[in-house]
Amino acid sequence: MTTRHFACKTADVLRDAPKIVSVSNLSIGIFSLNDGYHALLNICPHKGAALCEGPVCGTTRQTSDREFVYDRAGELVRCAWHGWEFDIRSGEFLVDPTVKARRFDVSVEGDDLYLHI
Amino acid sequence: MFIVDCDCHNYWCSATVLEPYMDGVFKDMFVRGEKTGPRGAFPHGHRPWFHPEGFARHDVNPVEEDDNYTIMKEKHLDKYNIDVAILTGDEPIEASTLANPYYADALCRAYNDYLIDYWLPKDDRFWGSIVVAPQDPQLAAAEIRRAGGHPRVVQVLVSHGAARPYGDPFYHPIYEACAEMGLPFAMHLGGQGGINAAPIGAGPTTFFWETHAILPQTAMTHVASLIAQGVFEKWPALKVVIIECGVAWVPSVLWRLDANYKALRKETPWLKRLPSEYFKSNIRMSTQPLEQPQNIQHLWATLEAMDGENTLMFASDYPHWDYDDVTKLHIPPAWREKVLGLNALDVYSRLPQRVREAAE
Ligand code: FES
Repeated sequence: MTTRHFACKTADVLRDAPKIVSVSNLSIGIFSLNDGYHALLNICPHKGAALCEGPVCGTTRQTSDREFVYDRAGELVRCAWHGWEFDIRSGEFLVDPTVKARRFDVSVEGDDLYLHI
Repeated sequence: MFIVDCDCHNYWCSATVLEPYMDGVFKDMFVRGEKTGPRGAFPHGHRPWFHPEGFARHDVNPVEEDDNYTIMKEKHLDKYNIDVAILTGDEPIEASTLANPYYADALCRAYNDYLIDYWLPKDDRFWGSIVVAPQDPQLAAAEIRRAGGHPRVVQVLVSHGAARPYGDPFYHPIYEACAEMGLPFAMHLGGQGGINAAPIGAGPTTFFWETHAILPQTAMTHVASLIAQGVFEKWPALKVVIIECGVAWVPSVLWRLDANYKALRKETPWLKRLPSEYFKSNIRMSTQPLEQPQNIQHLWATLEAMDGENTLMFASDYPHWDYDDVTKLHIPPAWREKVLGLNALDVYSRLPQRVREAAE
């Protein structure tokens, strides 16, 4: 059973700078990507750092040899502590997708933003 | 028990045995040129520390060239029932310390011909390592293609002393040739001095035993480099064998590599697996000299962490001063069959079926 919680105004969430809110005792980062809003628990599954306070960035795409293709700009968050890269949409850690940051559904009504927890 | 000795040194009394295998200007240089050691020494840029007792066991005293084999047969091969001895030469890997890559290559070619001609036919148990001089990877690759086709040659050998870390794309022509010929690439402790990078990170050490204990530093560099530079993505079937560089350091380096890669994978987008996974699939370590803690359990826990049951291969280092005999190998008893022989059969794919069957 998920419950809908008001989180913030949509205008509070900037591109490349997630809004960190506190909802039902959880610290959650809300990100604005070009396909809408996404939310991750602000706790890194590695060692518990405030994941959403790390930089929003891209990374190199997996290639077969000495080629650097910068990819996915703005779609990843890089943990502030040890730099693990997480997919903002799925919460998956790029090196090992079985490690996931917890994600939440987000919905928008007018200019209000809600989290489903 | 089927035993493969992955590091059996075939000695000579004098490097002049190479003369018949050299010609032209390099023969002139070899015969009349300056030498680091006495007459009959092999040319190389010499390391700064010397063994206070000499490298070889004092019960191995060849006088005639043929004694080198007869003593090995009696005191090592027959005594311990060695089934396969991978010959690793001795001085020739030091060719890597010479600044002149053409001379270095000529010395390696002469050695390889001598190995094939003189040593390999002597005993059915002998399989050879051809030596190449990595300072010119194109010449080294050509030599791998030339001498590497001999059916009793099972690996390509260099020294672990090197001018730069072995994963560097500079060296990739060597791996291309190894992959093409189906040969593993091995590095053996040695090759310090001359043009090669200092094997000691903080600067020159003083004593031989002190130095010998910390030489694995260089092997750590090569392991990290080979993995990071994507050598095993480019040549997934390539096996790298690291000889006589110690093993207990391996888990700690792999732990560090994995942790750093998890944070910074974007530097090397060509990698598809964790560094430790490349190690387990592509790198093999020879046992001698295995570390000797007071409490053997400490060693065994460490070996477990590097999947030693599958990544270690027995080596004796005959006839060197720190020789390990088969019966003194301190590994968990359940691993003996694999470490003493079966792991090597996976790496040295040219060892024939007949030998494999004997192993089963
Ligand atoms: S706590 Fe986030 S990467 Fe370590």
